[in-house]
Amino acid sequence: MSSISTPTTSGQSRQRPRSRRRVEPIFYFFLVPSLILFTLAITIPGIIGIFFSFTNSIGIGDWEFIGLTNYIAIFSDPAILQSYLFTFGFSIVTVIAVNVIAFLLAVGLTARIRMKSALRTIFVIPMVVSGIIIAYVFNFLFSNSLPEVGAAAGIPWLESSLLANPDLAWIAIVLVTAWQAVPGALLIYIAGLVAVPGDVYEAAEIDGASKFQQLLKITLPLVAGYVVINIILGFKGFLNAYDIIVGLTNGGPGTSTRSIAMTVIAGFNGGDYAYQMANATIFFVVAILISLLQLSLTRGRNAL
Amino acid sequence: MESVKATRKKRMAAMGLGLALLAGLLSGCTGEPGKETIRFTFSKREAIGFMTKLVADYNASQDKTQVVLDTSGVDVVSASFVRGNPPDIALANYNMETSRFVQRGALSDLSGTQAASRVREDLQPLMDQYGSYPGRTSALPYSVMASSVIYNKEIFAAHNIAVPKTWSEMIAACEALKAAGVTPFYATWKDDWTIAQGWFDYSVGGQVDTIDFFKKLAAEGTEVGPESSVSFQKDFNQPVEKMLTLAKNYVNKDAASRAYGDGNLAFSQGKAAMYLQGPWAFSEIAKTAPDLKLGTFPLPMTEDPKDLRVRVNVDLAAWIPEASKHKDAARNFLEYLYRPEVIDAYNKSQLGFTPTKDSANVPDPRIEGMVEYYEKSQVYQGPSVLVPRTIPIMNYTQAIVFGASPASTLRTLDADWARLAFRQ
Repeated sequence: MSSISTPTTSGQSRQRPRSRRRVEPIFYFFLVPSLILFTLAITIPGIIGIFFSFTNSIGIGDWEFIGLTNYIAIFSDPAILQSYLFTFGFSIVTVIAVNVIAFLLAVGLTARIRMKSALRTIFVIPMVVSGIIIAYVFNFLFSNSLPEVGAAAGIPWLESSLLANPDLAWIAIVLVTAWQAVPGALLIYIAGLVAVPGDVYEAAEIDGASKFQQLLKITLPLVAGYVVINIILGFKGFLNAYDIIVGLTNGGPGTSTRSIAMTVIAGFNGGDYAYQMANATIFFVVAILISLLQLSLTRGRNAL
Repeated sequence: MESVKATRKKRMAAMGLGLALLAGLLSGCTGEPGKETIRFTFSKREAIGFMTKLVADYNASQDKTQVVLDTSGVDVVSASFVRGNPPDIALANYNMETSRFVQRGALSDLSGTQAASRVREDLQPLMDQYGSYPGRTSALPYSVMASSVIYNKEIFAAHNIAVPKTWSEMIAACEALKAAGVTPFYATWKDDWTIAQGWFDYSVGGQVDTIDFFKKLAAEGTEVGPESSVSFQKDFNQPVEKMLTLAKNYVNKDAASRAYGDGNLAFSQGKAAMYLQGPWAFSEIAKTAPDLKLGTFPLPMTEDPKDLRVRVNVDLAAWIPEASKHKDAARNFLEYLYRPEVIDAYNKSQLGFTPTKDSANVPDPRIEGMVEYYEKSQVYQGPSVLVPRTIPIMNYTQAIVFGASPASTLRTLDADWARLAFRQ
């Protein structure tokens, strides 16, 4: 707080001791509305939800406390365990794919090439399209266009829809999610690459380093901070995967692509409020643990 | 400075005007003065036009009650119960969701109404299957939808195939069609609900007594498993195997990547002889092939034609919440809805069956094949809708037709059922 307020404080406040300096009321004015909204829309419902996870409520009517029964049931529920397995596996694979693709694209798009700004614009377009629309378009491509291509080219495994294959449907979800997520990561990488000073490359050039060595030994270490931020933001986003999966497979075939968020919401719709609240509480704890881990990893990095 | 003040004044004036307008709009919603306003929830999309006209007729016919049609849907209704501000009367799909309101006593008793005395008693077990509240008639059926195999009469006639009445006749018909180069069934497995609603429900319902099965299953509760008196793995295994016989040999090649919309189009183009869908598909098929001759017959699962049954669901049921402040006005409107000419006209327009004893509806030729079974109440409700929605049964049925082991999937279903019983 103090570092932010320094430039705005005038001469007279400089004489006062730091600790007793009056905070400009304008900061409260900025903070309080969002604090109130956050409390009303996130914190209070969250606490109510955690409270109900110890009951047998279905969302309406009478309920009673059932202690830890919901939690005990969750740990023996293969459907929920599978949704955790799927969500984490999917997030890890997607985060790797997105960052590799985005980084390579960023290197290309910051190099001296023709039509750089036009290309950058084209690559960023997927970001502005809503996830559910992307999902439905790809759904059509996977179910109709790709099988036709497969049939015409005589590739048997392509002839049936990727989305109808319980073992491969997750690949389709990774592809579409990555297609949407790459632009965001790409922009951050471009910003990072542009910030690398040109003289270090000149020096490397004089020392006789190849382009590949420059990429490995200079570019990568200098944008490491951006890699970390992209991985954190990406992973956090992918854990909440919902809209693209709903549009592509709706959790199917079977239950092979049900994410945690989908399981929780399905419970609400199906009158299983308290049980899925317990599930959401566990997911909340898991998410906090991951955030703490990421915080400790990134602490002290000035690049961020 | 002066000009700033002036614009501020103007702005205030504009704001005041806006507020006044808004207030006018809001008060406009509360209806005509002197009339008691009741809110009527109805969200069946296909029939909103019909219902809008019906409500307008009712409002014009008397000057005590003003009915306001609310088409905002099921989720809003659930939320309104939570807030203690439910609609005054509703016609809604009768299912597991509505049964929650029934079981927790949120719906008022309708047993004293004239409408209740005219409802067919043999349909009561279907209503009770979703649970009841002691001493109350919480909801009355308004429109019953029957569904079974839809078949293309032209294709059947062209290949001299009669409507099959037994399982072996069914297989013979499929073989004959296949030999003639016709796809027997058009399947749309990309949409899991089409498997649950058609393939799974018709197969199981045609063989298992679902009322008895689910009653015993509920009694077993946490004990459901290989040792219990009834279980999915024991009682559903054979019907599911038969379903797979049909699903593996007699469907279109691209079934796995076809969706409901694709199916309606393909079936209207005569790409298959049979289609496992409900009556709602007729209007969709008619969009591309208005003159196609279609019929219906129950899917035979046994060797005895006496076992033939059609799947029904209470597409609409009427109920009046306990928390309504206008119960008398709502009950008057309920009686209007149940007038023979009104309820018959509604069901005729939606290809539904009227659940009253005095119905004089002549069924549409497309659903004629199901009339005799409905009249004799040889009907069942689909097992897929009797399983609480929190168990992803639609996904499970999809997994089975996509190749998952039926035995292990049905075991999972048993375990899910027992786990749900454990925590509720």
